[in-house]
Formats: sequence, C-alpha cells, structure tokens
Amino acid sequence: MRQLTMILSMLALAGCVAMAKVEKGERAIGDRLAVKIEGAWNQLDGPELGPAQTWTMEGLPIDQLLLYSGVKDGDLVHASGGDGKRKDFAFKANMQADEIVGMFEGMLTRDGSSFKLTRLEPSSFGGLSGFHFEYTLIRKVDNVVLTGVGWGAVSKGELFAMLYMAPRLAFFARHAADVERIAMSAKIRQSAQ
Amino acid sequence: MFCGALFTTGLRAQHPQPWNAPARFARPDLDSDEGGLWALMDRQERRLRRSPFVIRDHSLNNYVQDIACRLGGKHCPDIRVHLVRTPLFNASMAPNGMMQVWTGLMLRMENEAQLAAVLGHEIAHYLERHTLERLRDIKSASAFATFVGLFGAAGAIGQLATLAATFGFSRDQERAADRIGVLLMRKAGYDPAEAAKVWGNLLAESKARPDGGGASTLPMFATHPGAEERNETLATLAAEQPGGTTNATTWRERVRPFRSDWLREEIKLGQYEESVSLFTRMIESTPRDAELLAARGEVHRRHGGDRQFDLAVADFRAAEQIGHEPPEVHRGLGMIYRRRGASREARASLKHYLELAPQAPDAPMIRSYLEELGQ
Repeated sequence: MRQLTMILSMLALAGCVAMAKVEKGERAIGDRLAVKIEGAWNQLDGPELGPAQTWTMEGLPIDQLLLYSGVKDGDLVHASGGDGKRKDFAFKANMQADEIVGMFEGMLTRDGSSFKLTRLEPSSFGGLSGFHFEYTLIRKVDNVVLTGVGWGAVSKGELFAMLYMAPRLAFFARHAADVERIAMSAKIRQSAQ
Repeated sequence: MFCGALFTTGLRAQHPQPWNAPARFARPDLDSDEGGLWALMDRQERRLRRSPFVIRDHSLNNYVQDIACRLGGKHCPDIRVHLVRTPLFNASMAPNGMMQVWTGLMLRMENEAQLAAVLGHEIAHYLERHTLERLRDIKSASAFATFVGLFGAAGAIGQLATLAATFGFSRDQERAADRIGVLLMRKAGYDPAEAAKVWGNLLAESKARPDGGGASTLPMFATHPGAEERNETLATLAAEQPGGTTNATTWRERVRPFRSDWLREEIKLGQYEESVSLFTRMIESTPRDAELLAARGEVHRRHGGDRQFDLAVADFRAAEQIGHEPPEVHRGLGMIYRRRGASREARASLKHYLELAPQAPDAPMIRSYLEELGQ
C-alpha cells in the first residue's frame, strides 16, 4: 500500500508541483527575510509544500532547503495539517530554541522518520541572536540517511528559520558550504515594508 | 469460512468450537496467486532486513522470537519476528511468515503475556491464511477492473497483493484472529485475561485525546473491531478457562535496556494527552520509577503552559528524590525556571545537567544560557 500511495502521490505531485529557477543575487523570502545566493536554485511550489519556501539543488526528494519567514504564533510549520490523523506542529511565540528544534523534529518525523539532534548552539541568524542546529534524519519511506542543518531566530514573536537536508553520502557535503553562506547572508527586517 | 461463521452466529463463548492448527505450509508455487504474494513479501522482508529501523539486538530478538515460537508451535521455524523502531502501536503479519512488531507496541506492553496476546493474534492471521483470503476477495470485487486499467493485468496483481498484504484484514478476520490468539496463548501457558487488558489500555489512551479518540492515530484502530467490542470479547474468551502466567518480571528485565529510547521516541511524537495517559498508567504500576516520572515531566514541559510546568516540576522533583534520574530532568527544571525568571534555580539545574551530560548535543546552548544567567 505504501508503494501504491507513493506512486499515486508522485503522480499527483508531478502534475501539481511547479518549479521555477531562483537566480543568483539577493532574494526576498516573504516580507521580512532576505538572503543572498551565489548560484541558481530551484524553487518548488505546490499544495503539499509550505508555509516555508522550498528550494532544491538536486531535486526532490534528494535535497531540500526550507526557508521560513515570519511564522506567527499558532501557525503550522508544515502543509497538510488538520487531518487529525497525524500530529500537527505549530510555532508558539514564547518557544525557546530547544522547543523550536523539537517542533521541527516533530514536523520531520510525522511520517515515521527518525531524527537525531547532533548539535544545538547559539548563533546569529539574519542579524539577530538565534541558534544553529545539526541533525541526522533517517527517512522512513526509503531508509535514506540524511544530514541536516538549521538556523533560526525569533523577532517580534515571529519565527525566521532555514533548514537544509540532503543524503549524508555525497549530496550534503556538495552543498553544505553554499547553504552556510546563504544562512550567513540572511537579513531580517524589523518590520514589514 | 470457519472463523467468520463463528462470529456471525454470535460469540458462543461458553461453547467454543474446536480449532486445530494446520500443518506447516509448503512454499506455494510461484505461478499461483499465493506464490506471487509470498514472493512479494519475501522482497519486502529482504528490504526490511537492511532497514536502519530494525532493532538488531540479538538478546531482545531471541527473547521475542522465543515467545512467538511458544505460540506458533510446529510453525515456529516459519515465523520470523522483526522488531521495528517506530513509536506507534502496531504489529503485522505477512503470509510468508514475516512478522513486524513496532516499538510503540513494545513500550505499551505490561508483561510477556500481553505481548503474547498480540503475537498470538498475528500468528492466527498467518495460520488462517487471511492475507490470501483478502487478496482473493479483492480480486473478485469490481475494483479489480480499475486496477487492471491502471496497472495492466500483471501490475494489478502486484498492486492488489500489496494492498491485501498491508492494507488490513477484514473485521471478521480480526475477530477470528482474536479467538485463535487466545487459544494459542492458553496453550502456551499465558494468562489470556491479559489480551483484553491490551485493548483496554489502548482504549483508555485513545479516549484521553481531546477528540475522545474519534480520529485516532493508532494504525491498528483503522481495520480492527472497535476497542470496546474487542475488550469485551477477549475478556469473555479468557473467562472460559482462566489462569496462566504473565511473566511480568521477566518482561520488565528484558525490555529495560531499550525502554529509555522508546520513551524518548514517544515523547517526540508530541501527542500530549495520549503520552500523559500512557506514562501515568505505567507510573501507577511502578510508582518509584524515576525514568517514567522524568518522561511524563518532559511531556508536560514540552506542552507548555503554567499548569503543565507545575506538573512537570512535580514529576522532575519526584524523579530526583527517587534518584538515578536521567540528566534531562535537570535540563527540564532549568528551562522551566529560566522561563519563569527564577535565575538561581535555573542556574543550579542547568549546571547539574551539564555535569551529568557534558557531551550532550545541546550542551553549547545550555552553556550560553548559563552565561546569560550569570554566576
């Protein structure tokens, strides 16, 4: 059944997911976050994606870069919530760093995948005091081991974050430095313009 | 079908019909639908063996396999139990003898007899060849034409086999498996009354949800008869011939080395009400278990809110008093005190955490909190 679901889901996705090229340069993510990229990425858009902008270099499901801009108190950090079958994960404005990471962990393991935090440390993100974390994710659907990295900060009760994950062998190392440069380039505006 | 008829004409709990296990199954001809089904499951099993989600500890695997063998009798050589690290209550049985038991189910078992109840139920599906029956039911239904259209004739058989094997048994098949499972338990010397307790506990957990269990996340609720019905049926069956062992002490000793991981996985699910219900039941059974108190405290802490923080502090402090508490107790206390502006208490707890777990992944973050709190 899982295979069938996957096939049907992939067919559905193939028809519904739009891909657009993200050119190098400074790119706005929502109203308050901007990042600078040195090479082109691909942005995906579809009903199963969001609220983060989903970018990929190699194509899904190989690697994905999730960019969250201004997630408000009570907002889910994943799409397809509210079916009651799987636990939903929402941001709360008073969350501390470990709780935000726990929220992302919950989001990434909704399908039964396994998450292991390997590092959580203070770090600036977007010019604000925030946090940086690293993790390993074993994807349930295909048993692939992914390495992941993330940054986050909360400004005026809104969450700004960036997560990147790719297969541990080859793909993560190929893009990790670019991803870190993107994170370091992030700027969070204090209010929407 | 024998078992279907048994239940469509009523439970007849006082005068159960005799049931004898079939002879060991020979590998079916590959050209037959059953042979195709086995081949498909063999492929799944090869994949499962390589999966990082499978628990490879020989001691635990042998222990569970031995229980399955006691229940399966002469079929023992054909039944292979795989323990799968997934924090939900589920077990499944494939027609080729591959059984999967998820760690969320293992965590919820109170004794060996309860696990035997689940394994016996799954073995009953195998002995009654329920998957094959299901495949033939689906093939004869009009939906088959749709599959042929979608996948072609050969592909349709494969898809239907997958559907039959993993999508679920009919409710009548589940009822039959319950009845045979109790017979197998009794024959193996286990107390069949424990079978009803499995479902009673699961029902209580499901009812703890804010929606009262209406949209349960438990996979086994999707196809199985209602938990209330099941609870009553199993209790009635057990009452026919009470007695037997539970092996509670052995069970606790054998799973203890793995329980911390299973508790952590449960906490991560973020299902507040169900986890509190589960951990409370476990604590009632062993009130002086610091690890369980710590787990419930962490669930309260992660949920957040003043009342939950109070409950978390109470559990963490109780765990601390008992001793040998996990280091996370002190992190939890420190984080709550920090949020409440109780700097001195926060500092003491976070320091204690780092003393106990200096290499913890979040140690750099905790050190930054300590700097922020000052000396």
